[in-house]
Amino acid sequence: MQTILSIAIDALAFGMVLFIICIGLSLTMGLMRVVNLAHGAFAMIAGYIASYAARDLGLGYAASIFLAIIGTIVISIPLERFLYRRIYGSPELTQVLMTIGLTFCVIGITNYFMGPTLKIIPLPEALSQPLDVGFRTIAAHRLFVIACGAAVAGGLWYLIERTTFGIKLRATVDNAAMSDALGVRTQVVYAISFAIAIGLAALGGVVGAEFLPIEPYYALRYMVTFLVVVSVGGAGSIPGALIACLVLGFVDTTGRYLMPDFGNFFFYAAVILIVCLFPRGFLGRAQ
Amino acid sequence: MHIMAQAGTVSAMPDAKSHLWRDAAGIALISACGAAGYWLFPDNLALLTRIVAVALLVLSIDLVVGYCGVATLGQAALFGAGAYAAGIACVNGVTEPMTLIAIGAIAGAAAGLLMGGVMLRAHGLAQLVLSIAIVQLFHEAANKASAYTGGSDGLAGLMVSPLFGLFEFDLWGRTAYLMGLVLLLLVFIALKFVVASPFGMLCRGIKQDPVRIRAMGAFVFPVLLKMFVISGAVAGTGGALAAVSTQVVGLDSVSFELSANALVMLVLGGLGTLYGALIGTVIFMGFEHVVSAFNPFHWMTMVGALLIAVVLAAPGGLTSLVGKVAASRQGKP
Amino acid sequence: MIAGKRILGAAVSAMLMGSVSAYADTIKVGIIGPFSGPFALQGKNFQAGVEAYMALNGKSVKGHDIEIIYRDLPAANPAQSRALAQELVVKEKVQYLGGVYFTPDAMAITPLLSQANTPLVIFNAATSAIVNTSPLVVRTSFTTAQTTNPLGKIAFNEGVKKAITVVSDYGPGVDAENAFRKAFEAAGGQVVEAVRMPMNTTDFSPIMQRVRDSGATGLFAFLPSGPPTLGFVKAFNETGLKKAGIKFYAPGDLTQESDLPALGEAAEGLKTSFHYSVAHDSPENKKFVEAAVKAIGSADQLSFPAVGAYDGMHVIYKMIEATDGKQDAKKAVDAVRGLSWTSPRGPVRIEPETRHITQNIYLREVAKDADGKYINKEIQTFPDQKDPGLATQ
Repeated sequence: MQTILSIAIDALAFGMVLFIICIGLSLTMGLMRVVNLAHGAFAMIAGYIASYAARDLGLGYAASIFLAIIGTIVISIPLERFLYRRIYGSPELTQVLMTIGLTFCVIGITNYFMGPTLKIIPLPEALSQPLDVGFRTIAAHRLFVIACGAAVAGGLWYLIERTTFGIKLRATVDNAAMSDALGVRTQVVYAISFAIAIGLAALGGVVGAEFLPIEPYYALRYMVTFLVVVSVGGAGSIPGALIACLVLGFVDTTGRYLMPDFGNFFFYAAVILIVCLFPRGFLGRAQ
Repeated sequence: MHIMAQAGTVSAMPDAKSHLWRDAAGIALISACGAAGYWLFPDNLALLTRIVAVALLVLSIDLVVGYCGVATLGQAALFGAGAYAAGIACVNGVTEPMTLIAIGAIAGAAAGLLMGGVMLRAHGLAQLVLSIAIVQLFHEAANKASAYTGGSDGLAGLMVSPLFGLFEFDLWGRTAYLMGLVLLLLVFIALKFVVASPFGMLCRGIKQDPVRIRAMGAFVFPVLLKMFVISGAVAGTGGALAAVSTQVVGLDSVSFELSANALVMLVLGGLGTLYGALIGTVIFMGFEHVVSAFNPFHWMTMVGALLIAVVLAAPGGLTSLVGKVAASRQGKP
Repeated sequence: MIAGKRILGAAVSAMLMGSVSAYADTIKVGIIGPFSGPFALQGKNFQAGVEAYMALNGKSVKGHDIEIIYRDLPAANPAQSRALAQELVVKEKVQYLGGVYFTPDAMAITPLLSQANTPLVIFNAATSAIVNTSPLVVRTSFTTAQTTNPLGKIAFNEGVKKAITVVSDYGPGVDAENAFRKAFEAAGGQVVEAVRMPMNTTDFSPIMQRVRDSGATGLFAFLPSGPPTLGFVKAFNETGLKKAGIKFYAPGDLTQESDLPALGEAAEGLKTSFHYSVAHDSPENKKFVEAAVKAIGSADQLSFPAVGAYDGMHVIYKMIEATDGKQDAKKAVDAVRGLSWTSPRGPVRIEPETRHITQNIYLREVAKDADGKYINKEIQTFPDQKDPGLATQ
């Protein structure tokens, strides 16, 4: 029983890291119909900013996260204006080509300026302690990550289902031309959604750095995982992405515990099974 | 999800004769380029052979992506199946190169049957994810079966006997290149016939509107599966060529990275023409080779910039640029 | 026809050699390594080692200028490796090949060597069997079995009777697992469980849970240097295994110096065995570190591939000295069989038979130095270690 609980907590923490990073990609892919393979690159950029802020500027953890999110969004604005706007509505493969190109550039530039070594984001004292939760010790930051994930899920749900912006967003997604005609400024809606997606990537990159360490190749190393998680959840669906992250996190963690030698087999076999059962992902919208 | 909306339309069917002439000219041009490569870069034949092997892989992706509208990021599974089949056969005493290529093609076709059988159950994004999962499973399997595949150390020690008992696979790589070039030409010609056949037209029809094709009374699944098998044979040929010419098979030949790179090359060149596959491969790998020799440390940025530039200048791939130029010429007589 | 081709081949190689001996003022050395991509750091270390050697020992041997040509091979890719080697030999006319980070890449080059009349000096690739594939291969790095071997005895002597092995599931990981098991069981211990984890594992908590459940008192781990080591070491601490007193042993890949600033406190006290620590205390190493840091640009990035490259260059220089600029691979390799010298890592020797390097293996502990920087502090020396992987063959 203890073992099961222990595995469940690990699975939950890992799933939540995936969720925070991937939900932004799910939004861009599902709502804006842009296959943004450079999503991980933004998470990485945020990690570098946070690392710089915490280590070289001596800022606290919260301030570093905040600065990283703002900084990454600022970097993304010209990219959105000059590159992404050209590929809204393009065929997916053209988007893939552009965003992979962008990822290559980011990796090359990061390697040039920041060097190829690992960068860490020092955790505050409270989060770096192992915490005794009765049946085992668990790192406090894992609990923090779980809390972040829950907050992101709740916040997004509220934003999309309960606010005026959410209504405009859903309208734009369902029929951009009609929304435009009805006075919704779709360009602005797109720009804001893009910024939100990037901001979430940034948040995930920073709080997930303990799981996915920050280094130049980050952007490509985890690209497949992100893409798979989003697709399994169904692009554009928040609960779908949440379920996908938790299920895949659970399969991954349990598989690695029970039969570590065949860890990857479990993960991808689960992916194949889920996709065969739910061809549009868990909660994907019909197209 | 209409992944490749921009490729050529079926309706444009001018008289078959002009098509035939155009293709004959195209094939002559490819042969000329291949021969030119042989004479101009006699010191880089191993690179050129690698380009030929990858070109076969990219052609095979064009068959399913460009002609059937099935998105895949897992084609290296088929390439790797061919490479490992040829490699394992070679280590076990089958050393005749043409036999090895045939073994690779058959293994690729078998893997294509399997992969198509799984992938064609889904559509759009889910399909793409299935292809990723399959190539990752192939990769894991190859890593696990290290007794047969050598695992991450690679399958080494392939002693390929001379082609036709005469031409050795040596340091200079002339035999490997010329054999690869001839193979590529033969495959290309065969594929031109395949895509121009009623079967090929049916595939294009399915890509544009599978519902209508079904309504017309055709079965979609077996047609696409057949194309998958053909595509597997082509990819397997490429894999076997890589195995024969390198004499080592590594895990990279069944990797997601290779699949993704090959898809990028195809989109770079342009979908659904077969020419685009060749152009994309040559440009991408040639560019990569030149810039990585020029600056081995930071060339990735330049490759990325190339891809972005192509999307901005020619969103339909480089072949579409040729089409545009031709169209604008015709526009002003 | 065969005869015709042979004559052609002979004529070409005669032309090659002729051109070399006639204008032998520049000798080219081709270095293949991962200079970009996920292993760029290791490639940078190759370059630092090469440049450090040339800065300290001059850019010419016996009046022959040495020119280095770098070629990038970002990840294991035998086909590309072969293409690069061929281009270097045939087009750039290099007389020596060096570098090579991954085993399959080396395997793709070795069949070419005798025809190319070119020796290959391996700076890293660490699978035992490579040196058997061609008599023209010399290796100046290490093998996984070589660096792992002493750990079995150390663990047993420190009171570990039951151990669990956890390795990355690929060639070197399996080599390490076997080497440790053999040495540990020979010492009298028992390996209660052997876990192989997929290469792309990022969350190690479930593995640690397994370690805890196995009842072992010692953990042997092998992971290639890079991002996952960080997660692994942290998971070891955070799941309370460190507190529970489970002893941790690993070859030095896990505490590569370039990862130490990131690992930091989490790694403190970890014991690893390896052939080289940047903190090795000797005048040779001091000179080397100074020159190599200058070449690589930052002290944090310097680690073991640099010393493999540095000694590799030493071997190549000796080869050039012996052949006096003429392209004669066999003579060059024969000249370095049995060669011994004092490397920055300590006394080393090229075994005449196997052409692999014999060297000290050190037990090190992660500790802070006087400036508060984390280092691999050497605490015990195992002199004159040959490659046990080759001895058994």
